[in-house]
Amino acid sequence: MKVKLWGTRGSIPSPGPETIRYGGNTSCVGVTLSDGSLLALDAGTGIRSLGLALAAEPARLHILLTHLHLDHIQGLVFFAPAFRAQTEIVIWGPASPEASLRDRIARYISAPLSPVEVRELPCDVSFRHCPQSEWEIGSARISAASVAHRGPTLGYRIDDGDSSLAYIPDHEPALGADIDSLDEAWISGLGLARDASLLIHDGQYADAEYPDHIGWGHSSLSHSISFARRANAARTVLFHHDPMHSDERLDQLGLEAQQRWLALGGADGEIELAVERSEYELPAHATSATSAS
Amino acid sequence: MTQRPLELILARNLMSALSTPAFLVDEGGLLVFYNEAAGALLGKRFEELGTVGAEEWGSMFGPFDGNGEPIPYDELPLVVAVRNGRPAHADFEISSADGARHQVEVSAFPILTAHGSQGAIAVFWPAGSHDGAGR
Ligand SMILES: [Zn+2]
Ligand SMILES: [Zn+2]
Repeated sequence: MKVKLWGTRGSIPSPGPETIRYGGNTSCVGVTLSDGSLLALDAGTGIRSLGLALAAEPARLHILLTHLHLDHIQGLVFFAPAFRAQTEIVIWGPASPEASLRDRIARYISAPLSPVEVRELPCDVSFRHCPQSEWEIGSARISAASVAHRGPTLGYRIDDGDSSLAYIPDHEPALGADIDSLDEAWISGLGLARDASLLIHDGQYADAEYPDHIGWGHSSLSHSISFARRANAARTVLFHHDPMHSDERLDQLGLEAQQRWLALGGADGEIELAVERSEYELPAHATSATSAS
Repeated sequence: MTQRPLELILARNLMSALSTPAFLVDEGGLLVFYNEAAGALLGKRFEELGTVGAEEWGSMFGPFDGNGEPIPYDELPLVVAVRNGRPAHADFEISSADGARHQVEVSAFPILTAHGSQGAIAVFWPAGSHDGAGR
């Protein structure tokens, strides 16, 4: 399984000289399974570049949406494969008692917010609510579970061979809960992340910023690290950077994260901050990820 | 241990912050949590008690009807709520760890999700008290 980060920013695209290293595009992770199947995790503005990087030949690909906040779907109408008649796109996402996934996404892909309507997309697009039990895409087994955020939100786990990727970009497991002491079964998202080869997790706030953002649906650095340690993730990438965090600030937070990780008994090189365009290779027969760039 | 559904996790988090005695059962009707206020009423904290079956629970705490007879498990508001997916209300007596009896009113409601009933919550009020503003 190959994993590439196309958008690492949370909330709103934040391009500019201050964010050029960690990136300004919002959430999107490209995954190539061991059998060649293609997945996109979320469709923030990063999916535009993912689309441009794909070969132009007919393809089938799956987009797994964690939820429908704009920073996770904004790139959909700028995803080149959606404008090719020969492309088949399956969009997975959370169910809601209020309306179907298609109808909720169509609120964004429709006038006046969008120049095209869902029915006008040239590709063969279908929408599916994620099942409660795991299902298969290509060589992988996929599980989705509701996690603590604002509104119906999923986290994903992708198991391909011996390696596993957990993706929980928007997550506040510590809301009203002490995640250091609670029994594991009672921590939001932990079942998805347990023993993952690679965990991509919300790391939006510095600890000092969190008290002003309780209930906003995101984690502080310490919460993310506690969560990853409890989950026993082999490697953790902190993701969904706050738009206010410059490269310089993120460098500091990255150092802080490493120090805390070591203090909690982790090893060197097991935690880092997400950098746009970085790649990870998860071997089919190993337990930890290696950086490809 | 298998992961609890998010709705149960959030219910527990909310209940932990309340000063109203509150109880939580899973989709099978098994008691999985009660908060500190409920612990104060029972005279035993949840962490001390751990998971107990319906029978053991009944012998320790009741509940009992107006004649002091145990109320069958199947008739408890929590169990009705989780099984039927409907709210349920009852007045009964419970026994705390020191043997004292307490009259309570109980309201239970199911935790319904896209995947059906995941459990139920019951809140206890001292009988005759309609003052919701803390005691
Ligand atoms: Zn987000
Ligand atoms: Zn969000």
